[in-house]
Amino acid sequence: MTSWKEQLGDRIPEPLAGEVDLFEGQIELKKQGKLDDKIFAETRLRRGVYGQRYDNGLRDDGTGQKPLDFPCGDLTKGPDTVWDAPGMMRIKIPFGKMTADQLDVLSELAEENSDSILHVTTRQDIQLHFIHIEESPDMMRRLAAVGITTREACGNSVRNVTACEYAGVCTTQAFDVTPYANAITQYLLGHPDVQDFGRKFKIAFSGCEDNPCGLVTFHDLGAVAHVRDGKRGFRVVVGGGLGAVPVQAKVLAEFCPEEELLPLAQAVSRVFARLGEKQSRARARIKFLVQKVGIEEFKRLVAEEREGLRPDERWTAFLDDLHSTDEKPIREPGALPSDAPLGFQKWAKHNLKPQAQEGYYTAIVKLPLGDFTSTQGRALADLAREFTGDAMRCTVEQNLAFRWLSGADAVAFYQRLDALHMAEPGAGTITDMTSCPGTDTCKLGISASRGVTGELRKRLTLVEDQLDPAVQRLRMKASGCFNSCGQHHAADIGFTGVSRQVGGRKVPHFNVVLGGQWTENAKSYGLVVGAVPSKNIPKAVELITQHYLENREGDESFQAFIARVGKKEFRKVLAPIQKPPSYEEDPSYYSDWGDPREYGIGDIGVGECAGEIVPFVEFGLQEAEQQLHDAQDALEAGQAAAAAKGGFTAMVTAAKALVRHLEVQVKDDADDVVSNFRTHLYDTEIFHDPFAKGKFANYLLKMHGDKSFEDANEETAHRALDEAQLFLEAAHACYQRLTQAASAAAAE
Amino acid sequence: MEPTKFQVKVYTKTGEIELEKLVPVFHQWIREKKIPDELLIDVADYAHVPQGPGVVLIGHQSDYYLDVADDRPGLLYSRKRGFDGDFQAGIDDAFRRALLACKMLEEESGLDFEFETSEVLFRVQDRLHAPNEESTYEAYEPALRRATSIFFGDSASFERVGGPREPFAVRIKTGANASVDETLARA
Ligand code: SF4
Repeated sequence: MTSWKEQLGDRIPEPLAGEVDLFEGQIELKKQGKLDDKIFAETRLRRGVYGQRYDNGLRDDGTGQKPLDFPCGDLTKGPDTVWDAPGMMRIKIPFGKMTADQLDVLSELAEENSDSILHVTTRQDIQLHFIHIEESPDMMRRLAAVGITTREACGNSVRNVTACEYAGVCTTQAFDVTPYANAITQYLLGHPDVQDFGRKFKIAFSGCEDNPCGLVTFHDLGAVAHVRDGKRGFRVVVGGGLGAVPVQAKVLAEFCPEEELLPLAQAVSRVFARLGEKQSRARARIKFLVQKVGIEEFKRLVAEEREGLRPDERWTAFLDDLHSTDEKPIREPGALPSDAPLGFQKWAKHNLKPQAQEGYYTAIVKLPLGDFTSTQGRALADLAREFTGDAMRCTVEQNLAFRWLSGADAVAFYQRLDALHMAEPGAGTITDMTSCPGTDTCKLGISASRGVTGELRKRLTLVEDQLDPAVQRLRMKASGCFNSCGQHHAADIGFTGVSRQVGGRKVPHFNVVLGGQWTENAKSYGLVVGAVPSKNIPKAVELITQHYLENREGDESFQAFIARVGKKEFRKVLAPIQKPPSYEEDPSYYSDWGDPREYGIGDIGVGECAGEIVPFVEFGLQEAEQQLHDAQDALEAGQAAAAAKGGFTAMVTAAKALVRHLEVQVKDDADDVVSNFRTHLYDTEIFHDPFAKGKFANYLLKMHGDKSFEDANEETAHRALDEAQLFLEAAHACYQRLTQAASAAAAE
Repeated sequence: MEPTKFQVKVYTKTGEIELEKLVPVFHQWIREKKIPDELLIDVADYAHVPQGPGVVLIGHQSDYYLDVADDRPGLLYSRKRGFDGDFQAGIDDAFRRALLACKMLEEESGLDFEFETSEVLFRVQDRLHAPNEESTYEAYEPALRRATSIFFGDSASFERVGGPREPFAVRIKTGANASVDETLARA
């Protein structure tokens, strides 16, 4: 056989076969220069073929940016995206459900086309990295032959539909959400009403309100199972999201009967496609539309849209067989042995959960940073065939769940995992951190989220047995930048990558975010306590947990403790480790975890006195930070309006510092600062973020224009502070860019 | 047969490897363009994955792994694309590049690496053209024999390893025990 297309023949089902052929044709057209860059980029994104760090053909090797001379010359696969540069393939695994045959093929692709690693994402996808675009059509064919499509895995489309990994086997669920998640996946995939979104659209299902697995509140559309008067339905929420400004979803329908779920989702999609922002990516998620029109008007629009929908038999056809997605156990149920070995007991404590079905358990295979190898993948597929059947699920905590494990087989299963070095205990504990790719492979990464997560894992695993149970229970999550893919807002302790300028050099930092709530479907988000140098993050975790243990009242939970003492106290705790030593004292602070290159140093020259002179602008930025901290305290004290005003003031202070840095005369009053900021930093695009463009500047301009801080409530004040935080980050970044440009000019 | 997707693994003499030491070395190789005819791009650190690919130097044409699979650390050379030559030349080239990388690692001060040449693993990551079955072995055996005779002499013995779901793989007992330097010198 000469090609996978021939080899697989009609095992590649239509319409997937035709779609992949079309994509392959588009690749050829692009190579011949017959397709526009932007159109091709969106085309490949909608096929799950994503960009990766350095794909603009430049890489900072620690001594400055150097070109990567790919053989393709000028050929690109999107704006500023070099054809030959390795990319990532995101493979949608709806609600994380995977069969053994699928895992076999994924493992084959990982070793033939990637680097032998399969990565589970926080949205239950599998990602493969370092893929060449020309190999992607055959990869898609091989996936299609086992029922997987990468269609609409990225781009402005309906992304992977997620659901609790325990759906169908959970003891607290209202009912199994799997058939509904499956129906919505199939119905919306390629549906004409979801092709014209301005941004991505994420859907999640949860089987109950209280447990964390579904995390519906930070999704564009979320559905929580409820039974009312014996009838199945969902509480449907809309407009949630993490990203730069986290927003809790609003209730769209307190009870949407099961037969109305698909038409409701379709109506929401149509409203989003029709009225959602299309020009400014930064404001194009549905959460901005819901905020703009208000939830009541949004409900009205959806109801109106629903009225006008042409009936579709698929809305209810799936209800005729709600058992089509059921898994059939392949072993008889059984009890756990009473004399199990110690290693098993330790593992089972957190990694084995009894199912609603007597005698069966769900086993969690804890994956380090969401990674496993192709060899392990094949062995796991064998375990599924032998013990559980096709009942594996990728989890949002970047692990793998094996459902329908008979208690009688649990020890043998554990021993087999152990032989694969995959029986790591502590699933769902502090050692089970999640992380986005960060600077390892993501184009937008600011700090090494995987690096810091790996380091924390290593250190905490060594001492996990000695940790207080209250600390063991904490969840930690890291994101490499404000886009929040690591879901850090919903963690007890979260980290988000930022950078800081210290003595003329950049230092990788993480903002520490405390008090996020993972339970009750991620009911509340944390607030930033302060930025800590990346290399001090392990120390930060030690100080935070120590402070908690020493000062908690009785067996007060971490959440309750944070709520009682406030974040202000934790700022005092972190204060001693927030300032990095000078480069001369300890250069290790000037590179990130797992990456020996000097962090983002680029071509910056270091002046003789750079380590000693603190420029005026830095005082201004520090003052703004302090104002923001005070505002956060005000919010904690229940003073929403004062908090929002404080956030606004912090932005004005930072803006003033930058305006003055440009040697522009500016008065102290906000009007003059904002006016000068607009003229000298916004209109000139100096303040613009390379990716988010004018988004962060607009936070200040908008708040100055509408004075929304004056009548802020708790929710809007929270948002104002998030926006102020991002504005300050952007101000730091802008200052760094100005410094770099000045150094480069001086060098010339 | 396509001369791509060949892999050659040469094992280290020591069983214990501090993978983190490889990370700065590979970054330096990128910075200093240490492999002149290859475009080196990035370093992927998978030291946290037991028995995994270890630390990978990602290139455009090839990747270089300090792989710890099967608890047997070794340098794994992996050709991905862009080989301009025939099938035999592709196999010879994979052995040469693997051994050259071993030599470079042995010369890195601070690593203290030593490789052994008595056994190597040859794999083809291409199930379409090289499924792990006897017919593939028959097709590859003459070229592998020629390549091993160039580097290790004529007393090599071959064993096809792995199951049908795994990539085509041949364990080669070379019958030689020379240093990497000597092995390269004789080729
Ligand atoms: S949070 Fe930022 S660094 Fe992490 S994956 Fe998302 S965009 Fe990339």
